[in-house]
Amino acid sequence: MFTSVLVANRGEIACRVLETLRALGIRSVAVYSDADAAAKHVGMADVAVRIGPASAAMSYLNIDAIIAAAKREGVEAIHPGYGFLSENADFARACANAGIVFVGPDALAIDIMGDKIRAKEHVAQRGVSVTPGAGSAGMSDAELIAAAKTVGVPLIIKPSAGGGGKGMTVVEDLEDLPAALVATRRVALGAFGDDTLLLERYVSEPRHIEVQVLADAHGAVIHLGERECSLQRRHQKIIEEAPSPLLSAEQRRRMGEAACEVARSVDYRGAGTVEFLVSAAAPDEFFFMEMNTRLQVEHPVTELVTGLDLVEQQLRIAAGEPLGIAQSDIILTGHAIEARLYSEDPARGFLPSTGTVLHLEQPSGVRVDSSLFEGQVITADYDPMLAKIIAHGADRDEAIRLLDAALADTVVLGVRTNVAFLRSLLADEEVRAGRLDTGLIARREGDILKPVDPHDFLVAAALFVHGVQAGSPWQRADGWRLGAHRPSRYSFRLDADTAVDACVSNSGVGDDTVTVGDTDPQGARLRQQNQRAHRLELDGTTTTLTIAEHLGHIWIAANGTTWDGQLRDRAAQLADHRATLTRVAGAANPDIRSPMPGTVVAVEAATGDSVGIGQLLVTIEAMKMEHKMLASLAGVVTIDVHPGDLVALDQVVASISPHEGAAA
Amino acid sequence: METLSTRADRSDHAFRDNDSAQRALVAELKERLATAALGGPAKSRERHVARGKLLPRERVDQLLDVGSPFLEIAPLAANGVYGDEAPGAGVVAGIGLVHGRPVLVISNDATVKGGTYFPLTVKKHLRAQEIAFENRLPCIYLVDSGGAYLPMQDEVFPDRDHFGRIFFNQARMSAARIPQIASVMGSCTAGGAYVPAMSDQTVIVRNQGTIFLGGPPLVKAAIGEIVTAEELGGGDLHARVSGVVDHLADDDEHALEIVRDIVATLPKPAEPAWDVIETRDPAVTDGLYGVVPTDVQSPYDVREVIARLVDASEFAEFKSEYGTTLVTGFARLHGHPIGIVANNGVLFSESALKGAHFIELCDQRGIPLLFLQNISGFMVGREAEAQGIARNGAKMVTAVATTRVPKLTVVIGGSFGAGNYSMCGRAYDPRFLWMWPASRVSVMGGPQAASVLSTIRREQIEGRGDEWSAADEAAFSAPIRDQYETQGSPYYSTARLWDDGIIDPADTRTILGLALDVVAAVPLPDPAFGLFRM
Repeated sequence: MFTSVLVANRGEIACRVLETLRALGIRSVAVYSDADAAAKHVGMADVAVRIGPASAAMSYLNIDAIIAAAKREGVEAIHPGYGFLSENADFARACANAGIVFVGPDALAIDIMGDKIRAKEHVAQRGVSVTPGAGSAGMSDAELIAAAKTVGVPLIIKPSAGGGGKGMTVVEDLEDLPAALVATRRVALGAFGDDTLLLERYVSEPRHIEVQVLADAHGAVIHLGERECSLQRRHQKIIEEAPSPLLSAEQRRRMGEAACEVARSVDYRGAGTVEFLVSAAAPDEFFFMEMNTRLQVEHPVTELVTGLDLVEQQLRIAAGEPLGIAQSDIILTGHAIEARLYSEDPARGFLPSTGTVLHLEQPSGVRVDSSLFEGQVITADYDPMLAKIIAHGADRDEAIRLLDAALADTVVLGVRTNVAFLRSLLADEEVRAGRLDTGLIARREGDILKPVDPHDFLVAAALFVHGVQAGSPWQRADGWRLGAHRPSRYSFRLDADTAVDACVSNSGVGDDTVTVGDTDPQGARLRQQNQRAHRLELDGTTTTLTIAEHLGHIWIAANGTTWDGQLRDRAAQLADHRATLTRVAGAANPDIRSPMPGTVVAVEAATGDSVGIGQLLVTIEAMKMEHKMLASLAGVVTIDVHPGDLVALDQVVASISPHEGAAA
Repeated sequence: METLSTRADRSDHAFRDNDSAQRALVAELKERLATAALGGPAKSRERHVARGKLLPRERVDQLLDVGSPFLEIAPLAANGVYGDEAPGAGVVAGIGLVHGRPVLVISNDATVKGGTYFPLTVKKHLRAQEIAFENRLPCIYLVDSGGAYLPMQDEVFPDRDHFGRIFFNQARMSAARIPQIASVMGSCTAGGAYVPAMSDQTVIVRNQGTIFLGGPPLVKAAIGEIVTAEELGGGDLHARVSGVVDHLADDDEHALEIVRDIVATLPKPAEPAWDVIETRDPAVTDGLYGVVPTDVQSPYDVREVIARLVDASEFAEFKSEYGTTLVTGFARLHGHPIGIVANNGVLFSESALKGAHFIELCDQRGIPLLFLQNISGFMVGREAEAQGIARNGAKMVTAVATTRVPKLTVVIGGSFGAGNYSMCGRAYDPRFLWMWPASRVSVMGGPQAASVLSTIRREQIEGRGDEWSAADEAAFSAPIRDQYETQGSPYYSTARLWDDGIIDPADTRTILGLALDVVAAVPLPDPAFGLFRM
């Protein structure tokens, strides 16, 4: 076994790998970018090495810097985690050249499986069934369009070099294909440096089921059963479980054998995942999608049902040890389910959110793979996944119940997360019944996304900021008057279009009275329990709340639901008020603002151009999505941004002077 | 230090009678305050609001910090005067916080006769300025006034304490580095034009505020020029051309925000003139209404009141065994040191000497004074005169008149005769003077006045050898008693600015705390007492 290993990753997976290294008594070396100087994984490692600035391309994707760090610290092996360089054959070769063991398969296996077209051809030759597809390096859009006829619709366009759903586009109608190819190529080139695209038939009601395999350097290959990852949003997995509620033991055995065959086809070594597409309607039939030649995000569900530590297995295999377990040793116990906690705002189209973690409560009694800590600054530099919460129960119902309870105990204040969405998703009857498919979330999103009723939160927020102080009667801020006291009015901005007033008044005796918007006044009292915990007494019930405040932004968690609002200062209120005084031509806002922090990737019009309503002006790439900034009205446009520019949330990227007399 | 306790017995009939009587008086006060706070007639208010203008109290609320207290001055001014057509005398005045610092705000009520100045409007405006001057409070004038109320020009225009004094005060306060800030939110005509013109910094609301010495009708009459109000003295003219104003606002809210921005640029007020410690709640908190009779003739122990006013109910009494009809002692009130002088019966020579001594102590130590007035007067009669009560009373009056420390007075019961003077009545320049709803103020009680006058009358009649029947005497006395009854009412007093307002007794501690913070911000002058006759 190794005595010293470098972890070439960040976030929860770096922490996860470091834990196993510690358990095995192996000296650990972490690497970090400037943005991660204070990150949890830096503190967990025995040594941490700075490898570059925040930009992933210059740090976590910087092969030279990582190899240099490994050499400097004299490590014997590098664990790449997932993402970043984990499936980069050049990196595997660089490790080999430097005499360092890459914890993963050979570069050749990565090469074959990394090219999705080649991978399919490769496994098809070994008798593993694949979906119809087309595409190879160098194929032009016209050639792909021609080939699309043999693939059939619906089809999906995938960047050959990509992963994790980035850049994938579904096309229902061949007429939409040309435009979709252009956009997908741009994403592929920007994200992976390779614009090779492939087309594939899109399986209806598809279920994403993947099989975990382990293969040692001595030819032994076993599988650890499957994981079902059908709950996805825009190809991004959200909830994963093991085993799949769909498969029978026989189907599991057949799929497992196919997965082992895939591994054997590339002389695989290490932990890998073979992804299959299964139609919910015909579970006997499964199609090979791809093989991920690395540890998966969702590996913990397999660990919980098998009792194995996959990172330990990876390290042992990489160190040349033979697999100590046979296929017959693998017994699946109970059911495990994982939910991914993302910094994203479900109410705002799941856009990634940023902020500072002001308060954090992570559940106990379940497995939590997390790199979160209070004070952590969540930026747009990296993937928005913050943590994984994994429950293990005797059966699927129990596992779901435990996961839901754990999510209810999860509180992250300071950055918007998908916790409430996850709970709502787990409560969905289709999900409960195990009738999953990758389109479920898109189909049922409207039902699952339950808007939070802000009333009680606004009551609490108003009382929190009101916070009548003991002390000089001038400082009490209770609106004291000789006669009826003056209610204190607080205005909270909930989102770009919504601001709500909450008035707190007190007659001098008893509870405060809070009036939210134009609802009826209610007697309420907020008692502080400790720094963050409060109790709200409202309408005969008492609720425990966690409240945090940062620069006038109030965050409140109660019963697994989080709310936040920005207390509007007088300047903001006045600005809004004054904006109503001068009438602008038309109702539309002439300023087009970036919906999130990101990078300008394309500017489609020039200052001075006449544009029509809905015309594409600027494309902004942020995280995994392209945002199209369209003209809000007809007029002459002014654009101040250029491709490559970083833009902030709500930054004006273009503005339009309406045409004289134009109707908006 | 002794912690005062209460002997109040909630089951006692007297307690319950007092409690319900006081509550009824407080309810009446709140009712009257609410009515006066509405301002002018509904029609005028609707017209005012329809023009996009805020009502005068809304302007004050918008100007002040969210949640700021507002220590209003004489909200019931002109109550029962001018046929009740000028609620609050047509102006809102008081102290509130802007950017955390106390400022004095004077806001004209244009819904009351166009915001014009009645005699009592002038008096209230001048009183508010006096408070600002004495306490070095920045003045903010929210101007919306047609100037003097012309039908009463003889009582408004010419005298020393009439309209002109407003601008005199502005100039003198500015000279004393007390900021003068005006926001022109409506008319500002004739003499009124000098309020913004005399201010250090001025804001005007576009298409709403106007400033001119003579309005369009007068201009037409005088020189035949036909001009609109906006052309003659609107915001654009004064902001861009004449330079009379410094800031142009889009509307009331904007103007008030500019005023706040101006206040943010002012230098910090002085540190408190004495040490202020953390406030503590009184140990005795409730039952105030029950322990104070509403009938000023009924005696009670004033320590019951003190116990509910001072921090932790702690009271270091001075000379408790001597001159017992006057209670004196040291305490803290919302953290401020305070010397309390409180009546507990008629004043004798000893009580007056004790009072003078105690005031000297507070003066020596730089401790502000609180007078709790409930005084039927100095003791009369041969014995008292022979002891020189006039001389001893004069010592206390001298002490009150010439002490350097700030004085606060609350009339909690009767305020009669020379007792009013020795206990820091209005003539003795307390920084603030408030009255409780059950209090009375007059030179003597109604029955005493009727009795004195009828004794003199009887002597005249009987001196002529005539007879004066009991019925005739009763007919003579009744109107005198009625007159004293009416004029002794706190509402009669507050309507005429003899005080700064009638307050809910339960608010007294809060109000004194607010006031102490205000008066503390002025450095104390050197001691300079007048001559004490020995």
